Amino acid sequence: MRKKSISHFFKYGLLLFCCLLSTYAVAQSTISGRVVTEDGEGILGANVLLKGTGVGTTTDINGDYQLDVPDDQGTLVISYVGYTTQEVPIGGETTINITLFEDLSALEEVVVIGYGTAKKSDITGAVSSVGAEELNAFPVQTVQQALQGRAAGVAVSTSNGGEPGAPINIRVRGNTSIGASSAALIVVDGFIAGSLPPPTDIESIEILKDASATAIYGARGANGVILVTTKKGREGKTRVEINSSYAFQSTTDRLDLLNADQFVAYQQEINPNFEGGGANTDWQDLIYQNGATQQHQVSVSGGGNGINFYTSLNYFDQEGVVINSNFDRFSITGNVQAQATERLQLGANLFIARSEKDGISSQADTGGTGSGDVISLAARFNPSLGIRDASGNFTQNDVGDTVDNPFAVATEEIENTKRDVARINVSGEFDIVDGLSIKSTLGFNSTNQTLGTYSPSTLLSGANGGEATIENARTTNVLTETYLNYEKTFGKLEFAGLLGYSHQNELREDSFAGAQNFITDSGSFNALQQGSVPLPSQSERTERIFQSQFGRVNFTYDDKYLLTATLRRDGSSVFAENEKYALFPSAAIGWKISSEPFLSESEKISNLKLRASYGATGNPAIGAYASLAAFESIYAVTGDQTVNAVVPLQIANPDLKWETTYQGNLGVDLGFLRDRITMSVDLYNMDTEDLILGDSGLPEYFGFLNLDRLVNVGEINNRGVEIVFTSRNIVKEDFTWTTDLNFSRNVNEVVSLINGEDIFLDASPGSFLIDQTHLLREGEPVGVFYGYEYRGVNTTGTAPAGTATFDSDAAAGGELYTDINNDGMLNDDDRKIIGDPNQDFTFGINNTFRYKDFDLNVFFQGAVGGDIYSFTFSELAGGAANATTEVLDRWSPSNTDGSVPSAAVRAQRVSSRFVYDGSYVRLKNIALGYNVPESASNSLGFDSIRLGVSAQNLLTFTDYPGVDPEVSYKNRGNNLQSNTSQGFEYGNFPNVKSVTFSLGLRF
Amino acid sequence: MKTFKYYVLAAGLAFLGCSDLEEEPIGRLSPNGFYSTPKDVQTTVNGAYGLMAEEAFWGRKLSLPLMVRGDLARIGINTAQRRLDHDEFTVSDDNGMITEYWPRAYQIIATCNQAIAGAESVSAEADVLNAITAQAYFVRAYVYYHLVRLHGDIPYLDEPVSNLEEASSISKTPAAEVYQNIITDLQYAEQWLPDTQSTRALPSKASAMAYLASVYLTLGEYPMAASKAQEVINNEGRFDLALEDDFADLWDFSKQQASREPLFAFDFNGFRDGNFGQDYMPPLTGIRDNITPVGEGWSVIMSNEEFYNAWPSDDYRRDISFVTESTFSVNGTPTMLPYQNWSQADSRNLPEPFIAKYNRNLGNTSNGNGRGSELNYAQMRYAEVLLIAAEALNEAGPSPVAEGYLNRVRARARNAGGVIRTAPLDITGLSQDDFRDAVLTERTYELAFEFKRWYDIKRRQLGPEVFSGPDAYEQRPNFDPNRDYLLPIPGDEIARNPNLGPNNPGY
Repeated sequence: MRKKSISHFFKYGLLLFCCLLSTYAVAQSTISGRVVTEDGEGILGANVLLKGTGVGTTTDINGDYQLDVPDDQGTLVISYVGYTTQEVPIGGETTINITLFEDLSALEEVVVIGYGTAKKSDITGAVSSVGAEELNAFPVQTVQQALQGRAAGVAVSTSNGGEPGAPINIRVRGNTSIGASSAALIVVDGFIAGSLPPPTDIESIEILKDASATAIYGARGANGVILVTTKKGREGKTRVEINSSYAFQSTTDRLDLLNADQFVAYQQEINPNFEGGGANTDWQDLIYQNGATQQHQVSVSGGGNGINFYTSLNYFDQEGVVINSNFDRFSITGNVQAQATERLQLGANLFIARSEKDGISSQADTGGTGSGDVISLAARFNPSLGIRDASGNFTQNDVGDTVDNPFAVATEEIENTKRDVARINVSGEFDIVDGLSIKSTLGFNSTNQTLGTYSPSTLLSGANGGEATIENARTTNVLTETYLNYEKTFGKLEFAGLLGYSHQNELREDSFAGAQNFITDSGSFNALQQGSVPLPSQSERTERIFQSQFGRVNFTYDDKYLLTATLRRDGSSVFAENEKYALFPSAAIGWKISSEPFLSESEKISNLKLRASYGATGNPAIGAYASLAAFESIYAVTGDQTVNAVVPLQIANPDLKWETTYQGNLGVDLGFLRDRITMSVDLYNMDTEDLILGDSGLPEYFGFLNLDRLVNVGEINNRGVEIVFTSRNIVKEDFTWTTDLNFSRNVNEVVSLINGEDIFLDASPGSFLIDQTHLLREGEPVGVFYGYEYRGVNTTGTAPAGTATFDSDAAAGGELYTDINNDGMLNDDDRKIIGDPNQDFTFGINNTFRYKDFDLNVFFQGAVGGDIYSFTFSELAGGAANATTEVLDRWSPSNTDGSVPSAAVRAQRVSSRFVYDGSYVRLKNIALGYNVPESASNSLGFDSIRLGVSAQNLLTFTDYPGVDPEVSYKNRGNNLQSNTSQGFEYGNFPNVKSVTFSLGLRF
Repeated sequence: MKTFKYYVLAAGLAFLGCSDLEEEPIGRLSPNGFYSTPKDVQTTVNGAYGLMAEEAFWGRKLSLPLMVRGDLARIGINTAQRRLDHDEFTVSDDNGMITEYWPRAYQIIATCNQAIAGAESVSAEADVLNAITAQAYFVRAYVYYHLVRLHGDIPYLDEPVSNLEEASSISKTPAAEVYQNIITDLQYAEQWLPDTQSTRALPSKASAMAYLASVYLTLGEYPMAASKAQEVINNEGRFDLALEDDFADLWDFSKQQASREPLFAFDFNGFRDGNFGQDYMPPLTGIRDNITPVGEGWSVIMSNEEFYNAWPSDDYRRDISFVTESTFSVNGTPTMLPYQNWSQADSRNLPEPFIAKYNRNLGNTSNGNGRGSELNYAQMRYAEVLLIAAEALNEAGPSPVAEGYLNRVRARARNAGGVIRTAPLDITGLSQDDFRDAVLTERTYELAFEFKRWYDIKRRQLGPEVFSGPDAYEQRPNFDPNRDYLLPIPGDEIARNPNLGPNNPGY
């Protein structure tokens, strides 16, 4: 284990923080003077630098400065954030006073909100922005990955950290649902649920978090909204940019497993007749490799004569750290805006992409005989076997379930996904009269995906002569929206209004075909007709329609008092007959205290704004046709013939409706020392009601095939705090240091369930033969682990008071558990809550240093307090698999104080033994960049040249003994969006660490 | 008005594709207007057959408890607690086998109820339509017969649920009443089902009669049981019934379809759709790490040495029912090992004789380890009808007719693959008590591992004798006759409808 304890991180972190504070100390003199505003007020903290040197200082509280200079012929550069920088030649003077003028463009920073933009200073809701620079700090496949740790309240998770092409989930402010997805709504250039372009084509991302910001998206706003704005062209010289990067990648860690000799000795203690296979194979070594990621982008942008354009070609290719796993994508982004007439502006956004993923199996859900995934197999497979046996066949495990070796599965199984994406969005905006405009958009988004798999006859999974499947999924999404925008100033009152209509139609068509028993293994899934045994084919069509009206008003009085109110009425085809339409209102107020006379003059407090909002948003949470009575056709046989058969699937539910989240948010925005230090703090409370739970509370004797008849019951609560802090620690011409910090804490609680009854859930792999692993209980966080409390090794063969053993494991060396009800035996009644996967807090710390032409970015990201339940360690401790080296200290008659139980095959049980603290802090990125001096790049014919080297996940501080603390195991019935099965780990594709080299050219 | 065209454009975009938000579930089956011909009713009854031939019912979740609760088979080691609980009588009200087969059983019943209700809107000749509806009555009775024997008083529904509130608060129906309803359903089935069907996967008139006999036997109504069983036997030609010549052929997939012995069977054909059409009995009773007969089982269920040793060794059926030798790879060489040595290969191979019936000749399999076989699982064989008749008649006093039925079964057992053995000899001249014991013992030989034994133990209240008696095959100290003849209703079901409480004693 090469990881460092998490306590190290905090120790060094404190040191660093002290350093940070010390930089606010002041220097001394020969030239002196005062830096003032237009109004003659001294500016605190302005930078005064001798141009072309590192010599510089900052002004004191009165705006006074003193600076030592080598001679009196240089030029002073005076700068302050929010003000236009000035240069003043010294010219022999010893006293130089300077007046700085406000740079209005900086204060008027504009952020994108739903259906429009707003001045950042006027925002009343909770909105986070992430810019292109942060998104592209290091190469990633998707935007979602780039967001990790960048914004408070935004959690990014993937079940397969380092897998090329792995799907990624974003949650804003915790889990607002139990049965439905908690994934945030993604809106790309106004296209709701539009396909995401690669990060390199994105200008900015805004994350809407509170109801005031999200309620404009009504029934789909409850999980937060991520607004993505792609890059656009700008008037002026045509710019060509070339960005290339290449990354070398490897696994962050490996498990310490027994070698062949240790394994054979261990197994012989279980079964004296056990014989090793004579080899000594490190299966992890065989399946893991050094991976590589390369990304290349060429963009051309510019504009003139009323037309601006941006176009970009992008290629991304990743060779995974597990053999035979890779992903590549080619995409084109094109954006054009045209001022067609004086009053009509037209726009078109285009994105097309082709991606292909070759996957290996991970996270096996059954994991029993014949099945298994490459990752977990590499841990559990017998190390004394080689890849092939004496007769040339792939070896199969002979302890535990009979499974193929991981190398065979990784190299022989085929899992190929091809995906074509096209998104086209055209818009027209017409200025009707001054201040009033109408905008219409028409968008089309299509994804076509084909998943082909093949298990050859050489594997157990293809034992029936090989098995091939093809799954096609096509989703087309058409969205049209029209809205009026009105802006008007009445004296001190500024008014902005929005009124609009939206219609969206989503059609999904799926089909499946497959066959077994192939003539040869060579045709893979491309020749189903060569398989003599067809699998049942399937096809399905689902359509969802949304029809909505929405409006918003903003009032700003005297630039001090802000009021925002929104309302959206959403109708959806998936809502039941009696509940077709829903209303989602919100309101927010803001007070810019710093604009009040008593603060407007303050030097120390440059910004102080209070915000409060409340509103309702929804989660549609319902699949198409879920409220209709239905039959289901099933497979049935009579007389050896397959026959048509139907069974009752579900009863109609005319009252089924969306889940509603009521959210209140209190926020304060602070700026100190003319915004050299800024900070925002948000507190929120979200009650999600009418939850749609998997278990409806209807008796099972009703006999519907769908036991999960949906009804609106249940409530959960999320509350938390988010803090964002930015400090420009050092601002000198040749050297700047900026620190950004974000912190989020979310607490969630199950408030009510059907009849107050616990809901038991199971996330275990099927082969573990466990029924219950975690539960939902009123008053507890979502998805707490539930099982026996492990009390160590039964050293004597007699269970000490308060503990007991299982009958099958009562001898010395067995496992001891707490006997909760003190009845001398262990059964279901001796289980309790043994862990909580919900994190206490998460944070990101980003430090950027610039020295002359160099810049250095150091980005830490962490999560503290979430527990992990490791099925991997559970399986490896079970005796029917290889084991970790901890079993070298197992109990035995000659080692009666061994730290782990004796060698034996034991049933898998959910116990606190396999609950680990999953807290971690990782150096997510450290990047060094160099901008080649202008003269040098110009002489090569470029406007600019940038070189970079960076490393990702270089250091991880954690006490978690597994491969990687960022886990999530998704199995039977759980998908990536599951909110209830968190913190489980089994067969995860490991996270990677990378070293990246990059080159950027512009001309 | 130059700008007018833009308004037109905008308005056009705004109202593009307006709709009333009604869902049009193309490709989904709706109950509305589904039933118009008898075929639609048959399609629904087929749904019930499909649900039964699935993992949560006969595939594993019901068949496994039935097997291991008896004294002829035991659960293996290091397997799921939910399975162990049935063998060791430590079941609690959230047992994972029960919570799986319980909803499935009621889904089968609901499907039958739907078929019966749907038939009402079909206009067809009564004998055509009723012959199909009668299958639904039969299957409903078949499933309730399992449930009432396993759980005693149970919720009883005989029509599709329409009023949710009312159906959510029903009380349990007393077992006696459930039995009466089963009898009524079987009588309807007997009335309308044809004498023979194209396949034994569909119930015939004789199937209904045989099940009536079985129900009466369970209720101790011996004269009724005898008369129904004899009615079948006396009409065996009309019903196309006969004992298979060679006992072994009953578990040969290739001979099952043509066999005249089953009266009702679950049909698996070596294909599946997920867990539908997938049986698990071959791997559950198969041997870990072996090569032959069928390789790579899971050693979850095995028999026990005591039963094997008690069974006369010259009985051909013993050879067919057990596997005691199997080949394993020893140092790379296939080697025949006796069961005492199988644990060398895997500690989960307990040194007990294993069950052979489901690994004998299972045809193609749609999944590994013998899962998804082509085997058919006879729920009622003609041999059992003969044994029911023998047992029931004897309750009125020793009878040569009863002896004749018993001896027909024993005579067939003498045909050892074409070679006629002398054993087992005919039985004659026993006292009433001895004959009763002889029939019950005969049932353990003839119907070994066919999911019948637990019900025999329950109906004859044999628990203390077979789980703790001096001659018990299995010692099960946990067995409590005041509790274990009944299983609990799932605890969460009672939470959903408190009127189903209290649970059975001891849970």
